[in-house]
Amino acid sequence: MSRMQPTAACVYAAILLLAAAFPAAAATGAAATLPKAPESFRARFIETRTLPGFDQPLVSRGNVTFSRTRGVIWEVTAPYHYVFRMGPADAEEQMPDGSVRHLDAEHAPWLAVVRHIFTSALTGNISELRRYFHVQVTVLRVGRRIELTPKPGPMAKAINHISVTEAGTPRSLRMDEASGGRIVIRFLDAKAAAETP
Amino acid sequence: MSARAATLLKPLIWIVVLTLLCLFAALRLNLRQPVDTNLLDLLPAAQQSPLLDAATERTQGAFLRELLLVVSAADYSQARRGAKAAQTALAAAGLPLADPARSVQALIGLYRRHRYAFLTTADRQQLNKNPVSAFTNDVAGEFANPAGMVGVFGTDPGGYLGRFLMGLPQPYANFTPDGAFLSAQRNGKNYFLLRAALPEAALGERGAAQAAGAVAAARAAVQRSCPNCTLLATGAALFSAAAQNEARQEVFWLTAVSMLFIVLLILLVFRSLRPLILGVLSVGAGVLAGAAAVVIGFGSVHILTLVCGTTLLGIAIDYAFLYFAEHWFGGGLAQHTLKSVLPGLTMGLITGVIAFAFLLLAGFPALTQIAVFSVAGLVMSYATVVLLFPLALRRRPAVRFATLLQFPQRLLVLACRRTRWRYLVPLILLMLSIPGWLRLHTSDAVRELQNFPKPLLNADQDVRTLLGQTPPPGFFLIEGANIQQALQREETLFQITAAAFPGAVALGLSRFLPSESRQQVNLDTWATVYRDPAALQRAFAHIGLPPEYVNTLEAGWKHNPHTPLTSQALLAAEPDLGQFVVRAGNHLALIATLMASLSTVPQLQNAAAQVPGVSFVAPLQRLTDTFRQIRWRATWLVVAGYVLISLLLIWRYGRRDTLRMLYPPLLSLAVTLGALGWLQVPVNIFVIVGLILVLGVGRDYTVFLREGARSPATALGVTLAALATLCSFGMLAFSAIPVLHAFGLATLIGILASYLSAPLSIAPHTREAA
Repeated sequence: MSRMQPTAACVYAAILLLAAAFPAAAATGAAATLPKAPESFRARFIETRTLPGFDQPLVSRGNVTFSRTRGVIWEVTAPYHYVFRMGPADAEEQMPDGSVRHLDAEHAPWLAVVRHIFTSALTGNISELRRYFHVQVTVLRVGRRIELTPKPGPMAKAINHISVTEAGTPRSLRMDEASGGRIVIRFLDAKAAAETP
Repeated sequence: MSARAATLLKPLIWIVVLTLLCLFAALRLNLRQPVDTNLLDLLPAAQQSPLLDAATERTQGAFLRELLLVVSAADYSQARRGAKAAQTALAAAGLPLADPARSVQALIGLYRRHRYAFLTTADRQQLNKNPVSAFTNDVAGEFANPAGMVGVFGTDPGGYLGRFLMGLPQPYANFTPDGAFLSAQRNGKNYFLLRAALPEAALGERGAAQAAGAVAAARAAVQRSCPNCTLLATGAALFSAAAQNEARQEVFWLTAVSMLFIVLLILLVFRSLRPLILGVLSVGAGVLAGAAAVVIGFGSVHILTLVCGTTLLGIAIDYAFLYFAEHWFGGGLAQHTLKSVLPGLTMGLITGVIAFAFLLLAGFPALTQIAVFSVAGLVMSYATVVLLFPLALRRRPAVRFATLLQFPQRLLVLACRRTRWRYLVPLILLMLSIPGWLRLHTSDAVRELQNFPKPLLNADQDVRTLLGQTPPPGFFLIEGANIQQALQREETLFQITAAAFPGAVALGLSRFLPSESRQQVNLDTWATVYRDPAALQRAFAHIGLPPEYVNTLEAGWKHNPHTPLTSQALLAAEPDLGQFVVRAGNHLALIATLMASLSTVPQLQNAAAQVPGVSFVAPLQRLTDTFRQIRWRATWLVVAGYVLISLLLIWRYGRRDTLRMLYPPLLSLAVTLGALGWLQVPVNIFVIVGLILVLGVGRDYTVFLREGARSPATALGVTLAALATLCSFGMLAFSAIPVLHAFGLATLIGILASYLSAPLSIAPHTREAA
């Protein structure tokens, strides 16, 4: 076989599409909180994940540090320690047991989508976000609320709606998943910071 | 038998023989494929196996059907609009785009139902090492990951299936799914990839035309909807369309010019159309008989046989011109024309038949077919001249033997003078040829036989660079008693290639469907994880996860059927994955490839040799090797044929005259090879066929001159034959298609050298005496 067969190629692409949809869509939630974000910022967060079929939600706390040029560090400090770093070229996560899992764009194509949506959201590039979402912006007394509804496609099969409020820096995010699950993140003490990751 | 009956018997024999040949051929003809265009059929039958045939056909078909288009622009929206316009145009031209979302739901549903059967190697190793803590760690990591979703917890706790799916080979590494397309951003530009496939039935010329038309329509549509967009397109069908277009144009004007020249030549010399009609009859009957004999023997005629077999025309026309020249301008009675030329014709035929018959021993279908075609064709052309010409040409036409027509005889007389130039000129030519021989190089690469437009080659290169694809040099064929054995062998092969070629992407069915034994190992791993739910709860509580989550997870495990995914179920959900499986009778094999830019054929063959039932197949390499073998065998068999011909000539003419008669054709061969070396034309199988023609024609000239040395008509006949061959085959030297150019150049130089050196076959004193 001189190269990948076109018919088989469709299948790989399709599988990757669906596989990619989960992380891409979820990352959008974290990313879209920051339209017209400052060059860099730091915040604490409290994340509440409600699983369908479970009464008890999972609450975690941590810090997020963002730099427009160098990427993001998402650090969970409680109930266990976990770090997710996404740089310009690759990403890695430090698991609760201390082991590190590396993700490079070549073997995780969704990473490029995640980074693209992430950058678009952080740079306030609404037209790029509209590739994936219907975007509605409501001006509040302080700040704005951005409503993201996925366009028909694999992402819409995973996410129903994303709502983000911001006032220069992100304040909160709520993502309703198609499965019935929900993620709510509150950002505390968010402030532009000279220090970058 | 009366003279009249004897007269009628000859054409009757001719008609009956030709009709019988055609009838038998019609009965034997493979109507589905009268002309075989598959180059792989040139391989000796012993080297082929039904599975290999099926696999080669499968991969070849997929390669030929694929069309790739890339629409790009600086602005994302514009590029997308251009891509949509191209998509619509392609669909209107009968080429709908491959839909990436098709059947994926069913496939993902299937994977989810059997999710415990799929683990990446790293995950399996981790879970086996420490089942409870590794699983807890992964679940905790998934909950903390900002790119993780809660909904996945119910279907894929810990993200194991997700990692397995993400670990699947990517078709186009640099592109990511984007709606109906795949898109990429690079160097400030947005690229959209469109993939289309020609329908199964549209291979060959029709498919090539359809692909070229569809791409032209897409290009126009993109230009209309997005003037700033650029469209790049590539695919084997586009190359095929370009090659066919070029060949068609060239064949038209080359044939037209050469035919015009030959018609004018005949009219000018003989002032009659009869030689033209009879010449066409002689050559036409030869080609028909040749093709019929091949069909009787093989069922169909290979395209290579047709191309090379037409060299027969160059030799067959010699017989006709020799007869015409003797009849029109010969010194004897018109009724005795045949008697005058028969010895020369017969010796020409016998030597020609011997030379071609030796190719029968080559053991390659292509050479065997060429030999059968040429032998049958030569005999029929000879029979036409001997049986029909005397009946059609009874009286000598009253055409003046003009001074111009006597020029060949004068040239011959001049060349036969005993001067030192007779020895010096060939010696100088030989000396000049020697550096050319040293510069000779061979080439059997199939790609070098073709000539494609630069823009098409550049577009192909650009698309491949964008996709980050290096087409592998071939494929692995993994045979097995059943699909499970084949899958296991493929897994072993991929383990070896992963170690030997780090970073290479292995592509095969086992990546999507691990063997049942491997799936069972994965299921056993999960059984270990859930063996002690209480321990799992303690681990969850310890890390800070709600312990009651374990109950749900355990329930999910218990309700799962714990059965491996079968190949039947997978292929029913996604029949396209069946492309990896080939069957021939009761035999089965898998096709797999390795996308590794630095791998070479021997390295891949070495990897394959380490696993039983696995072989690496490089179709282009096999063809190149076959062409090389054919070239070598043809060369040696022609040499062997020449030795036999020499013995025949010694029997007929004596040793001294034979040496003299063999000297001009061999001199022509030496000069031709020297010239090809100087001109840096690579020697390939087609050049060898050209050289066989040169030797055959050169031998005919010397035999004709030797047999009819006293007749000025013989010199004219040889001259006309040389001119006709030069303007039919020599014209090919002006072709832009490398293979035709090389063949034409070899023929042009060789025939010219054969003609000019032919007088050397006559002893100088003989002509002076004459």
